[in-house]
Amino acid sequence: MDRHFEEISVALYCEVDHDPVYRVHSYSQKVGTAERLSFIRDAMAVLGDLEGSGDAQLRFSCGHPHEVAVKRVFLEACKLETGADLTARPSETLDKKSGLTMIVQPDDDGIYKVAATGDGKNADRRMKVVAGGLAKLGEMEAVDDTSVRFPCGARHDALVGLLLVRAPNVRAILREDEAQASRGVLAAPSQQN
Amino acid sequence: MTSKERVLAALEGKPVDRTPTCNPTSVATVELMDLVDAPFPNANREPELMARLAATGHTELGFDTIMPVFSIIQESSALGCKIQWEQKDNWPTVRMAEPIWETAEDIVIPDDFLTHQDTHCVLEAIRILKREYGDDVAIIGKTMGPWSMGYHCFGVEPFLLLSLDDPDATKRILDGLKEATVDFGVAQIEAGADALTLPDHATGDLVSGEYYARYLQDLHVEFVERIPIPLILHICGRTVDRMDYIAQTGMAAFHYDSKNKPGESMEIVKDRIALVGNINNPETLFSKGPEEVSAEVTDNLTSGVNLIGPECAVPLQTAVENLKAIPETVESWSNN
Repeated sequence: MDRHFEEISVALYCEVDHDPVYRVHSYSQKVGTAERLSFIRDAMAVLGDLEGSGDAQLRFSCGHPHEVAVKRVFLEACKLETGADLTARPSETLDKKSGLTMIVQPDDDGIYKVAATGDGKNADRRMKVVAGGLAKLGEMEAVDDTSVRFPCGARHDALVGLLLVRAPNVRAILREDEAQASRGVLAAPSQQN
Repeated sequence: MTSKERVLAALEGKPVDRTPTCNPTSVATVELMDLVDAPFPNANREPELMARLAATGHTELGFDTIMPVFSIIQESSALGCKIQWEQKDNWPTVRMAEPIWETAEDIVIPDDFLTHQDTHCVLEAIRILKREYGDDVAIIGKTMGPWSMGYHCFGVEPFLLLSLDDPDATKRILDGLKEATVDFGVAQIEAGADALTLPDHATGDLVSGEYYARYLQDLHVEFVERIPIPLILHICGRTVDRMDYIAQTGMAAFHYDSKNKPGESMEIVKDRIALVGNINNPETLFSKGPEEVSAEVTDNLTSGVNLIGPECAVPLQTAVENLKAIPETVESWSNN
């Protein structure tokens, strides 16, 4: 549900021909829907490092679907009001639990290393948590306790920046996803409150 | 055959030109609400919106039926239960933690039961659909059974505990509530319904097959006698332990859950009652894609299931493409 435009439903459809491509779609007939979808597409391109493809579609330049990560990109794009400033998220974020700044540094092999700076506590543990969070949110592979990479082996710096914001708090994010997914699923009366 | 002829023939156990697709509960989704600008909760309370949203089940998805009663709360609202109407992306529910009655003697079916906004809405929506689609498409209504209304009016836990502690009191409650089932059902027939779904949530997780036989089998036989139209009984969950009892009620069809395998279910009911449903909601229609939906449809078709459709009201965020895969698969399977 798009709280920024008439509560219309907006969905991300995956269309597979050669490479997987994504289409932002709504069945709404309301005036302004096309403009809203166009903004969400633009936001996804910037925030998730996606590129335009064919007829208003999006794809990753590596050709990999990155299905879990693209869903996160879509959800984040929908949270923005039309006309909001679109800039890729930085490769560092404040970890509120530790007070540390978590930084993700990529190398030429597409490996992202999590590091921490600042005066916070539990740096080693929090770096592992953040790497684990990136792995879950982006379906990335663990290289070691604090390093991850995408299965395609390519760099997606903007996408990692987007995921990094949520990575320190991954459990809450996954719980939120689960709650959202169960909304609208009718339970038998015996299972309702 | 028209869609209507096909569905009614299947419900009567007669030959059909192909297996009908049937939606005995709800295929409303947020995407369909957007398509015809008929969102929840208003589409549960305003007849024009209800009819417009329901029609998409046939016009957009391709089902042989149209079912306008998306929720399970319409008559409970008219009985006086408190309703949480929710928003576009969630189901209205009865506030069962605030039951309205404690004993059978408390039961009063209000004089305005059939003119209350939430029952009248259903009747008026059926009239609209009958006018617009009634010649070609089967219009299916819904009247809730007394066990389900027992949960709503007395609260789930008190009602189930009562059924353990005091069978006579439970039966008096069911007897009191059954009149609402009959009255609302008959009113929908008069409005133009071709068949009725009768959900009675003696669900597999809470109620045994023996319980079904003790409390509900005779009542369901009575409904068949008093509501002169094909009835589709709906009970969620694993229900193979009561399918033999259900098959003896005279109901036209049993709307069954994906927790029961099509083959084992057909083996039990044989030709005594039609089976409908079984396409899994949360794991398949909601979470997977058209290919997986198609595989489940094919499993039902090859098992000889009489009418094909979702197992229950589909999640509101189900993709339209997945729902379309049901009629498309039936059509292509029938052509091969």
